[in-house]
Amino acid sequence: MKDLKHLIFFENLLQEANNDLVKQAKAEGKRAIGYTCYFMPEVLLDLPGCFSVRLRAPRCTSPDLATYYMSGRVCHYGRSLMERALEGGFNFLDAQMATETCTVTCRFQEHLQQKKLDSVEDMRIIDNDDFFCTFTDVPFKNSENSYQHFEAQLRAHVLEPLHEHFGVDISDETLCKAIEDHNEVCRLINEIGDYRKLDNPTITGYEFHVIQLVSLVCPKELILPYLRETAEEMKTREPDQKKNFRCKVLLAGSENDDPDFTKLIEGCGALVVCDRYCYGAVESRTPIVLEEGKSPLRVIAEHYLKTSNCPRFMPQDEMRARKKRIADLTKEYHADGVIIASNKFCEYWSYERTIDTFILKRDYGLPVCSIEKEYINSASGQLRTRFQAFVESIEIKHIQEGK
Amino acid sequence: MANEGKGVKIDVEKMQKKLAEMKAKGLKQNLRDFWYGKPHSAEEGGRRLGEILEDKTQLYTHREWRGVKDTLYYMYMIWGYNYLHMVTDIVKYSNNPVDFLKGTFRYRWMGQTYLPVLHWFDRGLQGMRGEALRASAWHYRAMVSASIQQMCNFFNADTRLHHGKENEAYKHTFLAKETTWGGLFYPWMDEGYRYVPMEMIPYFVTCHVNSHTVHNYIDAAQSIGLPGDPCPMCQAEAGLYVLDDVPDSSPLAITCNEACDGSVGTAILQDWFINKPLFALPMPMQFDDPLVKKYCMKEIEECWKFIEEQTGVPFDWESMRKRLEKQNKLQRDEWEKWEVAAKTDYYPVNGVAQALFRIFSSQYGIQGDFWDEASEKVKKIMYRCVEKKINSFPQTRHRVIAWSCAPLYYSNWCTWAYNCWGLNVIINMDSLMFDMEIRTDSYEHMLEDVATYHMLAPMRRMAVGGMHHIFELWDYKEKFNCDMVAMYDQLQCKGMQGVHGLFEDEFRRRNINAFWMPHALPDSRTVSRAEIRSLINDYMTTVMHEEPLDPSLLDFDDSMTW
Amino acid sequence: MKKLSKKFWKLIFKLLRVFILANIVLFIVFFFDLDGKLMFYVVEPFLKKRYDSMERRDVLQEAYDLDKFPKYKYD
Repeated sequence: MKDLKHLIFFENLLQEANNDLVKQAKAEGKRAIGYTCYFMPEVLLDLPGCFSVRLRAPRCTSPDLATYYMSGRVCHYGRSLMERALEGGFNFLDAQMATETCTVTCRFQEHLQQKKLDSVEDMRIIDNDDFFCTFTDVPFKNSENSYQHFEAQLRAHVLEPLHEHFGVDISDETLCKAIEDHNEVCRLINEIGDYRKLDNPTITGYEFHVIQLVSLVCPKELILPYLRETAEEMKTREPDQKKNFRCKVLLAGSENDDPDFTKLIEGCGALVVCDRYCYGAVESRTPIVLEEGKSPLRVIAEHYLKTSNCPRFMPQDEMRARKKRIADLTKEYHADGVIIASNKFCEYWSYERTIDTFILKRDYGLPVCSIEKEYINSASGQLRTRFQAFVESIEIKHIQEGK
Repeated sequence: MANEGKGVKIDVEKMQKKLAEMKAKGLKQNLRDFWYGKPHSAEEGGRRLGEILEDKTQLYTHREWRGVKDTLYYMYMIWGYNYLHMVTDIVKYSNNPVDFLKGTFRYRWMGQTYLPVLHWFDRGLQGMRGEALRASAWHYRAMVSASIQQMCNFFNADTRLHHGKENEAYKHTFLAKETTWGGLFYPWMDEGYRYVPMEMIPYFVTCHVNSHTVHNYIDAAQSIGLPGDPCPMCQAEAGLYVLDDVPDSSPLAITCNEACDGSVGTAILQDWFINKPLFALPMPMQFDDPLVKKYCMKEIEECWKFIEEQTGVPFDWESMRKRLEKQNKLQRDEWEKWEVAAKTDYYPVNGVAQALFRIFSSQYGIQGDFWDEASEKVKKIMYRCVEKKINSFPQTRHRVIAWSCAPLYYSNWCTWAYNCWGLNVIINMDSLMFDMEIRTDSYEHMLEDVATYHMLAPMRRMAVGGMHHIFELWDYKEKFNCDMVAMYDQLQCKGMQGVHGLFEDEFRRRNINAFWMPHALPDSRTVSRAEIRSLINDYMTTVMHEEPLDPSLLDFDDSMTW
Repeated sequence: MKKLSKKFWKLIFKLLRVFILANIVLFIVFFFDLDGKLMFYVVEPFLKKRYDSMERRDVLQEAYDLDKFPKYKYD
């Protein structure tokens, strides 16, 4: 396939959190608002006057300082973010909209919040006088009580602080406009992503991963023109005559903002056609639909709880439905199997991965490759072996089925 | 050199040494030792507790001679009394004692753990004398009673022990995750319903009594693909189900997100393996945000609606109110005890008895009079100590506050630390949770307080909701007049590991004497008890430059012991 | 009467003897930790053997139905 025009530009944007577009937006006087988790609605952080940055710590292979503060026994992602923060890599942030949705990212964000405490000496990790960090309590259920609670939380801990600190307009009209802009990003990403559903997809999982990530880490209005252009380019992009993959897979699991991981899988012959993991597009690029009689904030609160497939959700029906959701996506994207990857030390996904591995195979007949990985994958040799074996097993299954 | 004849091992060398020691002491001193027990410290020709234990198994060559009065007290009022009451408790709480026997043969945690329960007393009460021995033992007694009650509740209702039959007890039992506060079920207790925390007896208490049992469950969880790095408590809880070792005693189950992400994860597997109507009762994380209370109250009410729907029995306010009042009384008792512990040297309960009684009673709730009875007895002893100025821990060199979550397989480290080094654990983090009364003047007030209470659960109160909670250590250290911190370092607790460095920084900045105790909660294979002791020994000699009170306890092999 | 009194004292002494003997036995069991040794060397190994060889339900075969249970929501 012909290279995508902006791919190298996109790749460069992912080399550091404070990338060129972030710098440009800051220079224009906008406020950079950091967040880590899907449960923090990015649409609220993209209100006029500010922009969202989903935090990453690319190329952080040795988080030594963070290991002192958080020990070596917590997930590499949380530690890498901490390391990057301690190095000054997040000093551009004006605020961190935190959630206590998993322990380690919570602890990382609490470290950023230290200046509010008198029980520890403030390390002033984010060297920015304007910086503040506030926590939103996120419910574990989809219920009326949860929606009401989440809405109240978002108002108290996101909208009002943005208004108080930076004078951001938080009226319903502005929220509606923000939803519209957000949906435009969703529409473009989905349009690009839908090419993965083709028999011979015209986009690789790696390329899509890069595109999805830039949409999460760059100011939306600055990245939009590039996304539009890429969507246009995709319309005429021709696939390679001969399929250069041996099977298609759905990649599910915990936090994953490393496109090289997707590249590693694809290098073994498995094209990643669907990304059902934190930072993936399945949830985050589902458009928000305004409903009559409901305030835009209420709609946003409901949307983020309803669309999430996080193992954090505890009700019986939701726990069980998550497995079916993966099976349905596999069908929708014509995937031959599922790779479930959880980050080492991720409590939620350790359990979810265990049960997925059994149930998807047993109840849905899906081949499953279950792996534990690091945030930055230094053990790529071992993983490659696992993926190659998985691809071969799918091929054998196909032969046995006479496909 | 040991002579072996007819299966009896006699260590001649040891006996000769003892005889020589006695000879050197003279008759008067020997009579004194016989009557009062040997003194504690080596300087006074002390008791050398490590020498009466067998290598590896830590079974007693002979039990400790604590002087005539205390030895007889231990034999009759602790050892004999508890053996006897174990039987009477079974008769009291069991619908059919044969079920108890069947349960012993069916469930590993039951047979492997609870039969040697008196050794749990021995470990926790080692070296205790006088009022400390008496008061601490009453705490243990209440815990044994509560445990037997739970076992009976399990077995009375268990379909596996009744040929698959769902009897009346089955229909009147609620199973809930062990971190769900038992008080939530008070409204149905007048109607004969019982609450059993699913993992409290099969997992939690097991670890304290016999540290080996839980390994089976951790291994079982990992055998189905669960990685080894999540919290081992949650692994073990899941493993119980993998091994199918939890009684089938209720038509429903309630899960909870306390204490941590791992608990949420466990619920995923439990739902599958239980495969019954399951209600999730999540508590908010940011519990001191005033906005979360309303949400939490509603969640609790939804849980009650679920129970009403499943049982057809309505919420009974009176049943709730009277038990809450008993619970409040227990809380006030605890405050009285803390007051004495904080401000005087006359608190007679040792560190392990204090911690376990508190966590067990506040989590399980009121389902009998055993907590209150024990508390009254302890208070009586305590006030006698205050009145007569009896210092039950006269060899205290440091008043210690223990922080973070404790090693379950070595909860009696406090007893060892006092005997060996004079480290007296005055209070610990888990005791300080659930630290409130619940108003009973109206339903609304009660609900509001119940929500707060449940959010302040053990292992959670300081662990979530903002890191400032975990640093409440500084305030409590002052409040309880402690000069040293025992910092538990649960290697697989992500929440605590995530603030490790800040503690180091603050200990230095505040010039606090603190030692770290690495452990893996229930899993003694990760950090052994011997390694924990060795780390404390190193700290006490190299940093504090102190000599042990009882050198025989410095280094011994207890790798095979319960 | 004398005979009865003698019989009575005989019984008392007998009971006393039994009581003392029982206490001596109890003390021996207690002091030499014979209860612990019995548990450690006999009872526990026996029970462990039983638990290890017990046939157990394979929980991984448990159904994972989507529609078996309703949504427990009380809005």
